[in-house]
Amino acid sequence: MEAADLERALRPVLGDRLLGVEPFEGTAGRVRFRREGAVDLFRTARDTLLFGHLTMVGGIDWVDHREVVYVLWSDTARQYAILSADVPADDAHIETASAVWPSANWHEREAWELVDISFDHHPDLRHLLTPDGYVFHPLLRSFKLHEPEELEVKSRHV
Amino acid sequence: MSEMWINMGPQHPMTHGLWNLRVKIDGEMVLDVDPEMGYLHRGIEKISEDRHYNEVITLMDRCCYVAGFAWEHLYILAAEQALHIRPPERAEYLRVMSDEFQRIGSHLMWYAAFVQDLGLMSPFLYGMRDRDLVLDLFQAYTGARLTYEYMRVGGVRNDVPPGFTDRARKVLDWLDDRYREYDALCMGSTIFRERCDDLGILKANDCVAHGVTGPMLRAAGVRRDLRKDRPYAVYKQIDFDVAQADAADVTARYLVRMEEMRQSNRILRQVLDWLDHHPGPMMADNLPRWLGAPYAPIGNEGYLLKRSYPKGTGFSAVEEPHGEACAYVVNEGALHPYRVKFRSPVFSNISAARQYLVGYHVADIPPIMGSVDVCVGEVDR
Repeated sequence: MEAADLERALRPVLGDRLLGVEPFEGTAGRVRFRREGAVDLFRTARDTLLFGHLTMVGGIDWVDHREVVYVLWSDTARQYAILSADVPADDAHIETASAVWPSANWHEREAWELVDISFDHHPDLRHLLTPDGYVFHPLLRSFKLHEPEELEVKSRHV
Repeated sequence: MSEMWINMGPQHPMTHGLWNLRVKIDGEMVLDVDPEMGYLHRGIEKISEDRHYNEVITLMDRCCYVAGFAWEHLYILAAEQALHIRPPERAEYLRVMSDEFQRIGSHLMWYAAFVQDLGLMSPFLYGMRDRDLVLDLFQAYTGARLTYEYMRVGGVRNDVPPGFTDRARKVLDWLDDRYREYDALCMGSTIFRERCDDLGILKANDCVAHGVTGPMLRAAGVRRDLRKDRPYAVYKQIDFDVAQADAADVTARYLVRMEEMRQSNRILRQVLDWLDHHPGPMMADNLPRWLGAPYAPIGNEGYLLKRSYPKGTGFSAVEEPHGEACAYVVNEGALHPYRVKFRSPVFSNISAARQYLVGYHVADIPPIMGSVDVCVGEVDR
């Protein structure tokens, strides 16, 4: 499978919500899409293109906007594919993938607390790696490593 | 009827690390579980953004403290793709050799800890004794037994010392005999079989849906191994089989890991023979000068230091002893990576805990979690 094959399969479903598919070394390609097309893209990727595994979800802070990166694996094509969507920094949210691939659950919790990207309709969006009540998002570029922070951490269960 | 939540952890013999398994019980029955992670979160992805490309390798060893080489290899592959560098062939063989010895070391550590959870004390001692032989080999060519810092962007730090391959072959011969002993101790033990058969079943469909990979997935009858499916380094040139079992229970995971160690021996014999006959350079010769710089400027603004080197994004995936690990490295033309994201196999394997723990007894939790092979360092990062 190559970038052109992905584009051919996804264009009829997504229309202009698909921004393009570019080649990416070692994978089938990188699919850039608008966040409005997330659910349709996830369903097509799993059911038509047979990407049965969601390998990981990660967020990148580009300061003026944020990027959500999904990595998929297909057992039939024996290939990875990368999906990526840009979301504005002041309104960073996207539809959850956990309804399509349950494995997205924890990855999205991590992206939510570390990169401050919210996932709509996520079944269980709460802290995973940082304590409850932790108000910082360490993987944002505005979070400085060399400046001390002060925080009162509440116990999770009393 | 009295339902309640209890904590197994953060300090509990079952956890093999620092995490907390909250269990909802009714008498002896497990009704629900909720794993709580984060006790070991060190922010490795954040610290990586503040470090020179070669300085991140130090952190990789600490990502998974029983499989440091696998994580070094994972990061190096992604970083090399992001920086457009190709390593020499001998370095790739040395990396594969390190990977496979690491797989044996990691599985022996798992074996020792797992059988001890079941109450069998002697296999624990045997497993730790034999793992030390592997660590001795690591010490011989990296100088370290746990945190190696051996691989470099563009190659490896040094060659193996003279006489190393013969010494390594002796260890492999010794291990071949020991694998038979392990099997006799466990598969021949009624106690082991009674505690492990038909326990913690996770079928192939559930594994795929919840992102479970590695020995757990192969024990459910799915023949999936990135060394075969998407060969990295020199795995294409090497002849080996993928371990597989069908029962999807704790015993099946034990059998898969045992077979993987035998296959690692097979891979290592081929790699050692190759190393004997093909001398060559350790590092790529077209490395940019800044990559060799011992110290990088410190500070979060380091990425603003522009250099004239092409930007790029690297993605890599390796078959770590615990499963499928991925790395995503963004190079924005600075001395430091702009963003590093890792996918830990154990992270996903634990996230599916509800699927393979609910419906069993409380006393079944240690053997089941033992068969998952938890390494909290790479879950929390």
